[in-house]
Amino acid sequence: MIGNDIIDLALAQQESNWRRKGFLEKLFTQEEQLLIAKAKNQEIMVWNLWSRKEAAYKIYNRETGIRGYIPKQLACFYENETKGTVCCNEHVYHTQTTITNDFIYTIATTEPRYFSQIQKINPDTETRKTNGIPYLVDAITLISKPVSISHHGRFWEVITL
Amino acid sequence: MNKREIIEHLKAIIKPYIQDQNAFESLTEETDFINDLKINSANLVDVILDIEEKFDIIIDNQAMEKMVNVKAAIEIIENHLAEK
Repeated sequence: MIGNDIIDLALAQQESNWRRKGFLEKLFTQEEQLLIAKAKNQEIMVWNLWSRKEAAYKIYNRETGIRGYIPKQLACFYENETKGTVCCNEHVYHTQTTITNDFIYTIATTEPRYFSQIQKINPDTETRKTNGIPYLVDAITLISKPVSISHHGRFWEVITL
Repeated sequence: MNKREIIEHLKAIIKPYIQDQNAFESLTEETDFINDLKINSANLVDVILDIEEKFDIIIDNQAMEKMVNVKAAIEIIENHLAEK
């Protein structure tokens, strides 16, 4: 399974005041708060970790059917700027993050080998939904493939496995 | 504070964060913050912090986890107010 999450950094700056009292404490674990405090660019670290949690949550939600606002249960293990894992109640997800001046984008998978198999698809591609979960039906084989869609501000990313 | 008053305060709190005006105007207890009102998940924490400030309550992790729709928010606020 796969999940993705993109953050438009310019929009995030308008929408969120991450320095607000209580904001980091409610969303991030102690370890993550320490990573943010120590980061050279704290804002980038906030959104880097947040995009990992969001991408991982999409898989967790699909795997378990559990819906909730559980950012602190999705604990990030930060290997480096672009790599890491997110653990949530014994589920482990692998993450790859891309950072540019304009956006932060994370893809999460249940297996590391999936990263090389992920295909990016055109955001205009017609997808269907069951219980709010998007999928794509291959026109030739009629096999349905899971899709993960992320949109924020100027950016859309749609991927399939 | 009765339920109607709680809903009015709640509507005032969520208004700056909503991205679907129609869903906001036809808001019911079943309205979902993210799926219906299209509140950005990173802004849901602002809704929670604003609720804490407005009602002078503390929403812990367990309560926060349930905070995905209007109904859950009302229940959490009611429970906290009842404890006061």
